[in-house]
Amino acid sequence: MFTKHYKKQLSAYAHGELSQHESALVASHLRSCASCHAEFEEIRFGVRLAECLPSVSAPEKLWEGIESAMASEEFRAGQRNSQARTRESAARTRETARLPAPRLSGGGLLPFFAGRRAYAYAFAVACVALVAGGTWFYVRSTRPTWDVARIEGAPRIDSDSIGERGRLGVGEWLETDANSRAEIAVANIGEVEVEPNTRVRLVTTRMTEHRLELARGTLHARIFAPPRLFFVNTPSAVAADLGCAYTLEVDDEGRSLLHVTSGYVALEAGERESIVPAGAACLTKPGTGPGTPFFEDASEEFVEMLSKLDFENDHTVLDPLLASARPRDTLTLWHLLSRVGGDERARVYARLAALTPPPEGVTRDGVLRLDRAMLDAWKDQLEYAWLSESIPAVRRVWRKLWK
Amino acid sequence: MESGVLMGESRMSESVIEACKLGDRDAFRQLFERHKDRVYSVALYFFGGDEATAGDVTQQVFLKLFTRIGQFHGESEFTTWLYRLTTNACVDEQRKRRRFLQFGEGVEVREPRGTFTNEDRLVKAEVAESVKHAVAALKPKLRVVMLLKYFEEMSYEEIAAVLGLSKGTVASRLNRGHKILARKLAPLRGALVRAEQEG
Repeated sequence: MFTKHYKKQLSAYAHGELSQHESALVASHLRSCASCHAEFEEIRFGVRLAECLPSVSAPEKLWEGIESAMASEEFRAGQRNSQARTRESAARTRETARLPAPRLSGGGLLPFFAGRRAYAYAFAVACVALVAGGTWFYVRSTRPTWDVARIEGAPRIDSDSIGERGRLGVGEWLETDANSRAEIAVANIGEVEVEPNTRVRLVTTRMTEHRLELARGTLHARIFAPPRLFFVNTPSAVAADLGCAYTLEVDDEGRSLLHVTSGYVALEAGERESIVPAGAACLTKPGTGPGTPFFEDASEEFVEMLSKLDFENDHTVLDPLLASARPRDTLTLWHLLSRVGGDERARVYARLAALTPPPEGVTRDGVLRLDRAMLDAWKDQLEYAWLSESIPAVRRVWRKLWK
Repeated sequence: MESGVLMGESRMSESVIEACKLGDRDAFRQLFERHKDRVYSVALYFFGGDEATAGDVTQQVFLKLFTRIGQFHGESEFTTWLYRLTTNACVDEQRKRRRFLQFGEGVEVREPRGTFTNEDRLVKAEVAESVKHAVAALKPKLRVVMLLKYFEEMSYEEIAAVLGLSKGTVASRLNRGHKILARKLAPLRGALVRAEQEG
């Protein structure tokens, strides 16, 4: 009866400060509550603006001012009090532990080396190594990373086996062989399960964008986050999460298959975009980009004809394809409107209108000239037909088409 | 490995702090070099880009730090202590300079001009400049939380520790800060998208 809104948690959600459970609740709520969604968009814009602030370097001359102030009597008096307290404390500690007093700069350490040139060189080399090592460790330790857990076998990050757990840094590759699997925690917005024989790289991770690259193999993603926060690059398209769960496979030739199990995913390459809802799938190919999405319960013939149209430019299949389309295949037909031209577009319109007449305000002329608002209004109506039960058949089609 | 690295960094900081407590000037300098840019950035954006005030505040913070370092016993993180000094110094300085209370009431936002093909750097700089003014116009309690989040990259829990607030209050202040920025700078939405696309 009363809906719980999450307006107070929206910044924490955008910053990944909520627990996975809370994030899932907010993500789910945002999909159904226009008011919270609008407020979230506003907050997200605020976050992006704040991220524009560049960091600045302090002027060099500041230290001079500090040094001269430190030379003043007032400062020295304040410091003497502070040091007296510290020395008392240090003396008590040394007495207890029987440790030698520390030697600081200006003490007797360097004179000890002065008569022993070789030791002095060794000391200098050790200092340089220490600084270089420290810098390397510092850079490495402050770089953003994601947790990786072994599920089975011996997954590797940049050739090193991770054992039970590891950390995947930006730019690093996670690889599984035929016997290994792993799970990646995507910041705290979800998880990605990596199947055997997969190679995946962390491209970027920041508040407004988390991105993986899938070079080959299979991953299953479950994301509890606002739309367009998590992306997977493949050789032929980018999968943009719109709040969902999906499986993405890439073969050795860079072709991919997306299979969505919950929510929506957008597949993008240049100007071409395919919106893939739960129960639907989409093939992609290097040079072409995303094909036209189809429901998994479509007939094998329908998917084969669609593949010929998308990837072999064979337009002779268009009419039989339209004739065999069911009401649910309006997903495919709606996408085809903007992928064919002239008389073909008019034939697609006719079949689509016969299956589901366009809503009020959507005209034939408007659709044929690809009026964005009219296309979206029709899609909103068609979505009711798209959200029904599906029967998985996609794997069979995938094998037949690509293998 | 990771915990070892962090432990090494933490030990290094501890030894520098201990040396500072004993009056070692080199250690002071080391501590200053390590933290000066972040302290200065917070002060600079707190005072809406006033470099002279930001410089003064940064010097005050480090002088106070060096005078009082004997009082730091490691009950909290050193950075928590340092940024508490920084935010207190900013707020104190602002109290002295009442004029900043009226600062930025009417933030003027200009839609950056330019074609982005040759001027994307300029556009980004203009967006950053508008954001800088809008942040400076926030109430101090919202501004401080925003600066700790975006310059120190602190978690909500760390910000709460520095300012002595609950995590819920930090979240609520960031919410308000983000909304105010978004509303004041709504005309920049298009420019920001284009600037992001330009990378």
